[in-house]
Amino acid sequence: MDAVHLGEDLEDKDTAFTWVVKANNRAYHKQFREKGFLCWRQRKYKGNAIHTAKYNFFSFLPLNLFEQFHRTSNQYFLLIIILQSIPEISTIPWFTLFAPLVCLLVIRATRDLVDDIGRHRSDKIVNNRPCQILRGKSFLWRKWKNLCVGDVVCLSKDSIVPADMLLLASTEPSSLCYVETADIDGETNLKFRQALVVTHHELTSPKKMASFQGTVTCEEPNSRMHHFVGTLEWNSRKYPLDIGNLLLRGCKIRNTDTCYGLVIYAGLDTKIMKNCGKIHLKRTKLDLLMNRLVILIFMSLVVASLVLTLGFALMVKDFQGKHHYLFALHTWTAAMESFLIFWGFLILLSVMVPMAMFIIAEFIYLGNSFFINWDINMYYEPLDMPAKARSTSLNDQLGQVQYIFSDKTGTLTQNIMTFKKCCINGCIYDSDDEHGILRKRNPYAWNQFADGKLLFYNKELEYLVRGQQDAMVQEFWRLLAICHTVMVQEKDHQLLYQAASPDEEALVTAARNFGYVFLSRTQDTITLVELGEERVYQVLAMMDFNSVRKRMSVLVRNPEGSICLYTKGADTVILERLQKKGAVEETTEEVLASFAEQTLRTLCLAYKEVEEEEYKQWEPKHLEATLLLQNRAQALHQVYNKMEQNLQLLGATAIEDKLQDGVPETIKCLKKGNIKMWVLTGDKPETAVNIGFACKLLSQNMLILEDKDINRLLENYCRNESEQQRAFKVMTHQNMALIINGEFLDQLLLSLRKEPRALVQNAVVDEVPQEVGLSRMDFLQARRISQMWRTIGSSLTQSPSVTSKIQESPEVQRERAFVELASRCQAVICCRVTPKQKALVVALVKKYQQVVTLAIGDGANDVNMIKTADIGVGLAGQEGMQAVQNSDYVLAQFCYLQRLLLVHGRWSYMRVCKFLRYFFYKTVASMMAQIWFSMFSGFTAQPLYEGWFLALFNLLYSTLPVLYMGLFEQDLTAEKSLKMPELYMAGQKDELFNYSVFLQAIFHGALTSFINFYVPVLLSSDISKFGASSDYQSLGVLVALSGLLSITLEVILIIKYWTLLCVVSILLSLGSYVIMTSLTQSLWLYKISPKTFPFLFADYNVITQPANLLVIVLNVAVNTLPVLALRMILRAVKQRPKKKGKEKEEAEEEPSEEAEVGTTAKVLRRGIPTRRSSYAFSHREGYADLITQGTILRRSPGDISGDTILESPNPSEEDLPSSRKESIFSPRKISILARMKRQHRGQGSQEEVGTDAGSQTGKKPAPQRRDAQKPPASDGSATSPAVTSLQASSSDDQAFHSAPSEYTLASQSERLDVRTASLRTLPWKDPASPRPSLLQVPAKKHSHSSS
Amino acid sequence: MEVMPQYDLSRLPENTALKQQKLPAHQLDLSASVVLCIFFATGVFCLCMGVVLLLSAKSTKELEINYTNICANCAQLREDSSNFDKECTCSVPFYLLEKMEGNVYMYYKLYGFHQNLYRYVLSRSNSQLLGKDIWDVKDCSPFQMSHNNTPIIPCGAIANSIFNDTITLSYNLNSSIHIKVPMLKSGLAWLTDKYVKFQNPRTSDLASVFAGSAKPLHWTKPIYELDTDDPGNNGFVNEDFIVWMRTAAFPTFKKLYRRLKRVDYFAEGLPAGNYNFHISYNFPVTMFHGEKSVVLSTLTWIGGGGIFLGLTYTVTGALTLLASFAILTIHLMLKRTKKSFL
Repeated sequence: MDAVHLGEDLEDKDTAFTWVVKANNRAYHKQFREKGFLCWRQRKYKGNAIHTAKYNFFSFLPLNLFEQFHRTSNQYFLLIIILQSIPEISTIPWFTLFAPLVCLLVIRATRDLVDDIGRHRSDKIVNNRPCQILRGKSFLWRKWKNLCVGDVVCLSKDSIVPADMLLLASTEPSSLCYVETADIDGETNLKFRQALVVTHHELTSPKKMASFQGTVTCEEPNSRMHHFVGTLEWNSRKYPLDIGNLLLRGCKIRNTDTCYGLVIYAGLDTKIMKNCGKIHLKRTKLDLLMNRLVILIFMSLVVASLVLTLGFALMVKDFQGKHHYLFALHTWTAAMESFLIFWGFLILLSVMVPMAMFIIAEFIYLGNSFFINWDINMYYEPLDMPAKARSTSLNDQLGQVQYIFSDKTGTLTQNIMTFKKCCINGCIYDSDDEHGILRKRNPYAWNQFADGKLLFYNKELEYLVRGQQDAMVQEFWRLLAICHTVMVQEKDHQLLYQAASPDEEALVTAARNFGYVFLSRTQDTITLVELGEERVYQVLAMMDFNSVRKRMSVLVRNPEGSICLYTKGADTVILERLQKKGAVEETTEEVLASFAEQTLRTLCLAYKEVEEEEYKQWEPKHLEATLLLQNRAQALHQVYNKMEQNLQLLGATAIEDKLQDGVPETIKCLKKGNIKMWVLTGDKPETAVNIGFACKLLSQNMLILEDKDINRLLENYCRNESEQQRAFKVMTHQNMALIINGEFLDQLLLSLRKEPRALVQNAVVDEVPQEVGLSRMDFLQARRISQMWRTIGSSLTQSPSVTSKIQESPEVQRERAFVELASRCQAVICCRVTPKQKALVVALVKKYQQVVTLAIGDGANDVNMIKTADIGVGLAGQEGMQAVQNSDYVLAQFCYLQRLLLVHGRWSYMRVCKFLRYFFYKTVASMMAQIWFSMFSGFTAQPLYEGWFLALFNLLYSTLPVLYMGLFEQDLTAEKSLKMPELYMAGQKDELFNYSVFLQAIFHGALTSFINFYVPVLLSSDISKFGASSDYQSLGVLVALSGLLSITLEVILIIKYWTLLCVVSILLSLGSYVIMTSLTQSLWLYKISPKTFPFLFADYNVITQPANLLVIVLNVAVNTLPVLALRMILRAVKQRPKKKGKEKEEAEEEPSEEAEVGTTAKVLRRGIPTRRSSYAFSHREGYADLITQGTILRRSPGDISGDTILESPNPSEEDLPSSRKESIFSPRKISILARMKRQHRGQGSQEEVGTDAGSQTGKKPAPQRRDAQKPPASDGSATSPAVTSLQASSSDDQAFHSAPSEYTLASQSERLDVRTASLRTLPWKDPASPRPSLLQVPAKKHSHSSS
Repeated sequence: MEVMPQYDLSRLPENTALKQQKLPAHQLDLSASVVLCIFFATGVFCLCMGVVLLLSAKSTKELEINYTNICANCAQLREDSSNFDKECTCSVPFYLLEKMEGNVYMYYKLYGFHQNLYRYVLSRSNSQLLGKDIWDVKDCSPFQMSHNNTPIIPCGAIANSIFNDTITLSYNLNSSIHIKVPMLKSGLAWLTDKYVKFQNPRTSDLASVFAGSAKPLHWTKPIYELDTDDPGNNGFVNEDFIVWMRTAAFPTFKKLYRRLKRVDYFAEGLPAGNYNFHISYNFPVTMFHGEKSVVLSTLTWIGGGGIFLGLTYTVTGALTLLASFAILTIHLMLKRTKKSFL
C-alpha cells in the first residue's frame, strides 16, 4: 500500500516550474519526450485519453498468463510439470498435475477477461465524450480523447470539464465561472473560478482565441487538488496563476453559459487522475496466509523429500549390489540415483500441495459474491439498486473488518438539508405531518412561488403567517428571506436558488414556501415577495459569515424607510448579543438544547430596528473599514460587532442534515461487533462532530480529545515510550474519541507523505476558531481531560523508566503512538482532510496495525481511500460513479454495510475458513499415505494411488461437498448473525483459521492417513486371502477408498447446514468416484491405452472381498470416532466457562449501562452548548464579498453610491453584441446579471399577473378574505378570539405566547419537566452563569395560558 | 460499470430460497443423544464383528515353512548366477499336527523382495500382455530386447524376475508310500486378470506367434511353454505368471501358488501326518538377504490366518463402548446440574 503513494510522492518533489504549455501549439508539445520504460520514450505531454483496462486483444493471453504465473503456487506447479516431463524423474502420470493446472488457468483467465471487457467499455465511454475544441478558427465537436495540451476548449453549461484547464474567459460578468465539484471532492455546493482579467477582456471571439499565443509555465503534474502555481506569459507580460484560475477535470460547469479554457494537464496528468492512486491488486489476509501456507507445505515437502532421498541413498547400494532383479534398473551411480530420486519425490509429493484449493476457492469467492448481489435485503428500491460485489476475491475479508473509514457527506448523511423545526418567539413549530401524508396535496398551494417540496408543514404557523398579525412571525420569515447570500436564477418560470451551503438553501426555500419569497438581488437591493406583495429592501451592509464570527447580518432599509438589522448565527454568539434575557430567551435556549439533542443543526435568528441616528454614526466607520488596506478583516469585524448588539431574539431554526436510513442503528450494531469507525470528511469539525452525535458514533459521556491534547499525549509518548505505552493501556477503559484536523494529519503523516511542507499553507485561517473552540470547551470535558492527565501522570510516576529498545525515527514513533492512541478510541473523526489524506490515514492504520480496513464513500474524493483500504465500498449515491467504479463492493445505502459485514462477511469468512481447514486436512489425509508407502517401496517414489485418482481426487471426488461448504454453509441464520454482532469478533481475531488451526488440520490429516495406511499394512502381513493378497493395486485402492470415505464422513460432521443440496453434493461426489473409477478401470479404456489406465477392475476386485470392506469400515470408524468424541468434549469444556462468563458479563453490564444513562442525563445540559449551532460553524463564507463588491451583480439602476473596488463596467458585456454576430461562436446568452435586470424591469408586469392570480388564491384582497378564513382554520373557536384579543391588547413579549405556542409547549412540557427534574438533582451548578430556575419557565407558561 | 444500463425491468434480485440463502435446512446439531447413539451402535457393531472375526480366525489353520536355510546348499548354488542352468532340488519334510479341513491353499512367501519399486513396477508392457500388440516392448526398459536385438516376450523387469521355484507336496501315508498331493493350478488369480487383463494372441499355435521373440533373461522356458499340458493356462494366461505379474505392495508378500484338489484322501482337506515339500530351487533370495517360505492355509469367508482384524475390531468396539459410557456419565452429571451439555 505504501508503494501506491511512493511513486506520486516522488513526482511531487519535482516542483520546479518546468511544465510549459503554449496555447494553440500542438507541434510544440509533441516534440518533448521523456524517458519511459527501458529505452522506450514516451511523450511528455500526454493525450487526454485514459486507459484503465489492463489488456488488449493481443496482450491478453501473454500478459494474463504472465500475471497468473506471478502466483507462487502457479509457478511451483509449472516447475513441477516441467520436471515431470523429464522421464528420469517423472514419478506420476503427466495428467495428474496438468489437468488441474489448466483448469485453474482457464477459470482465472476467463474471469479476468470479463473484468477487463467491462473496463474497456467504460474507458471507451469516457474517452468518446464530446467536447468543443478550437481547430483553426472555429470550435469543432471532437471527442475527449482528441484533446491535447495547449488546446482551447469551449465548455457550455452542465458539461463536464474534460481536462485540467486554465479558465480564459466566460460569458459571466467578471469572468466568473461556476463549477460543481461533486465528482472531485464530493461537495455539492457551487464554487466559482475566475479568469484572468486580461484574457477575459482580450479573448472575446474564436478568432482572437485562435491567435492567442500565451505561454503557461507551471509545475509538473501533481496530485495536490487545491494547489496550483504558474504564470501566464502573453504579449511579453507575465500574469500569476493560481488554483482559482483552474478548471479541474471532472468538474461540472454550472450557471455559466459558456466558458473557454486552455488545457494545461490532460489525461493521466490531470489532478484527479493523479489523485486516483494506482490500480493494485487487493489480496485478502487469508489469501496471503494461504500462499504462505502453500510455501510452508512446499518447504516441508522439500524436507520430506530430502529425508526420503536419504532413505533411498541407504538402500540404493543394496538395489545395485544385491537385488539381482534390480541391477539393470539402477544403472547410475548411487549419488546420481539419489539426486534423481529427490526430484522424483518432489514431483510425487507435489500432489500434497493443494492446487485444486485455489480453483475451488475461486468458485467459492465467486459464489459468495453472487449471494451478495442476490441479497434482496440489500436492494434499494428508490434507486433500483441491488448490492454489487465488483471484486470477487475479498469476501472473506468482509468477515474480518476491524476499522471502517467512512466518508460523511452522502455516506452517513443523505446530503439533504431539511427544514425540520422552528421556534418563533419561544413557541416550537414542529411539522404536523411527519410521515408525509399531507404531501399528496400541496399545503402551500396558496403560494404561487412554493416549490412544493418542503416537508415542513405546520397548520398554526401557516395560519399565523397568513394572518399577518404576529409581527415576530413576519420578521422571522422576512429575516430568512433577506439574510443570506443565496443567488437566484429563473429557469422555466421557476426560481432556482444557488447557495453556498445546502443549509442556507433550505432556509431560504422554507421562507419561500411560507410566502416570503426571495425574488432577486442586486448589489444593494433585495427584492422579496411577501405574501404576494413585492417589497424592495435596500441593503446597507452585508456582514457575511465566517468561522470566527459565526453569524451573518444584513442591514437593510425597508420600503417604509426604517432600518433593520437581521442577524442569524450560532446560538452562543447570538444569545450574548441580546438586548434582554426574558422568559422567551430562556425558552428558546431550552428549545435550542432540545433541538441540539435531536442533533438538528440549529441557528438563532435575531433582529433589531436601527435608529437613523445610530446608522448615521455607524456608517462612516463601516466605510472607513471597508477601505482599509491593512487589517481590513479585523476592522470590519469590529465594526460589524458594534452594530450587532442589543438584538431582539426572533427564534431559532432547526435543520436536519438528514442521516441515511438506519445509520445510527448500523453504527451501534457494528460497534458491538468490535468494529471501529473512523469518519473522514472534508467538512468542518463542528459539522462532523454533530453528525457524529447524530449517528451515535459519539456520545455525551465520551472523552473527546482534540489536536492539542493529542499532541501533548504524543509528545509524552515519544519522550518516554515505555511509560507512555503503559499509560495508554491505562486509558483503555476510558471512553474516548478523537477529533482530528487535516493540518494535524499533515504534520503527523510525515513518513508516509513526503511532500514539501511549505506548500501546505492554509493553516492560518483556521487557527482562530480552534482556539475559540478550546476556550469554550465544556467544563466537564476539561475536567475529564485533566483527570486523564492525572491518571497518566500517576502511572508515570509509578513506573520506573526503562530504556527504549527499538530505535525508530521520531516520525515513525509519532505515527505509531498516534495509531496506538487512536486504536484505543471508540471513534475517530478526521475533519478537513483531502482525498489523499484520507488514503494516508487508511495507510497509516494499515501500516501500524495488522488489521483489515474497510473504506466506504460515495464521491470521487473517496476514491483514493477506497483503493487504499483492504476493502473499498462505494455507495451508489448522487455524487457520480467515481467511487463506485473504484470500489470492491457497491451498496445503495450505508445501512446495508451491517448486513454486508455481519451476515455476508461473517458467513464468507466462516465458509472460507472451514473450507481451508477442511481442504488442508483432506489433502494431507489422502496424500500423506504416499510418504508412508515410500518407506515400504524402497524409497523409490512409487506412487501409492492410481494416477487418475490423484488427478481427480481434489478436482472431482471430494470437491462438491467442499464447494457446498464454501457456498452454503451457515453456522447461524442471517437473523441471528445480525442479532449477535459479538460473533463477528471471531473473524477479527483470525480465530477460525490461523497457524494453529492449520497445524491441527495437518496433524489430523496425518493421523487419518496413518491409520488408513497402516491398518491395511498390518493386515496384509497377517491375513491370507483368496486370490492375490495385498498386491500393490489393491492396497492403493484400499487406502484411497478408506481415505475418501473418511474425509467424506468428516465433511458430513463439519457441515452444520444440511439441505437437500448438501446430500446431493455428497452423493454426487461419491457417485463421481464410482463412475470415474469404473471408467478409468474399464476394459474399453484399458484396451485403448493399457499404460494410462493400468488399474483394470482393481476396485471391483477389492470391493468384492469382504475382508477389504471390513478394513475400510474399520478405518473410517477409527478415524471418525475419536475426533467426534474429542470435539464433543472440547465443545462442552468451551461452552461452560463461556456461559458462566456470559452470565457474569450480563450481570455486570446492566448496572454499568444504567450508570451510563445516568451520566448522560447529567452531562446533557452541559454538553450541549459546545455542539449546538453546528450550522453556524460549518457554514462557509458566502458570496457576500462578491455581492457587495458588485462582481457578479449589477448595481441597481440609478444607484451611484457605494464603494467600488472593481471599477469596471463589465467589458464582456460590451463585447457581447459583436461576438453574437459571429455565428460559429456559440452565442453568449444573457448572463444571470442581465436576466436579473430584465426581471427587475418586468416586475411591474409580473405584479399585474400576480394580482390576476391573486384574485383566485386570495392574495391581494387579503384583509376580508383572511378574516373569513380564520374560523375554519382554527378548530377551537373559543381560543381564536382570545388570541386576537391578546395580540391586539398587549405589545408585551407575553403577547406572543398565543394559543398555538401554548399548545406546542404543553405537548412538550412533560419532557421538559423530566429534564428539569434531572437537572435539579444535579449536584454541580455552574457558578459562572447563574440562571433562573429552569423549572419555572414551562410552569409560568402554563399558568399564563390558563389565565 | 459506469453507465448503468437502464433496464425496464427492475433489478430486484429474485426472491428464491437459493439466492436468498434460505434453503430449507436442517441444522445438524450433534446433540449428546445422537452422538451417544452413534457411539453405542458403532461400539456394539465393532465388538460383535470382532468376536466373529476372532472366532473365524481361530477356526482357520495356517502352516508356514521357511525353506531358505533348509535348502542352504541350493541357495548357495544360486548365489552364483553362472550356475543358473544347474538343477537343484531339495526336500522339506514336515509333520502336520492337525488336519486342515476344507479348501487348503498353498502360498509361496518372499521376504525382502521388492516388487514395489518405481522402475520395477513400470517395467512391463500391458499392451503386450493384453495380446493386443505382443511386439510392444517400449515400456519394458531395460528388459526390452535380448542380446541379439530380438524383442523379449514377456518383456520387463517383473516378468524377468518371475518366481520360478516349483513346489510339490507329497503326503507320507507311511514311511514307504508317498502320495503326491493333487494340486490345482487354476483359480489362483483374479478372474478379471485371467480373462480380461491377460490374453493370448488369438491363435491356435502360440509358438508360431511368438516366433522371432526371445524369452526373458532369467527364464528357462519361453512363455508358450509355461504349461504345455493345459492350453488354457499357457502363454500370458498362465496363472502363475499372472499372479506374479500382479505386483505385491510390500517387500514381504505371499502369493497363491496352488490349491488343493479335494479328491481321494484329500476330499476333506489335508489329513494330519507327515508331508514333504519337494522344491526345485531356482529362485535366488540369499543374495539380498531375502527368505522364502511356503505356506499352507485354510480360509474362511474373510480369509485366513491372522487375528489382527478381529482383534482390532474387538478393541475398537470395546473402547467405543467405554467412551460412550463415559460420555453418558458426563452428560447425566451435567444434566443434573442443569447445564445443558452440547
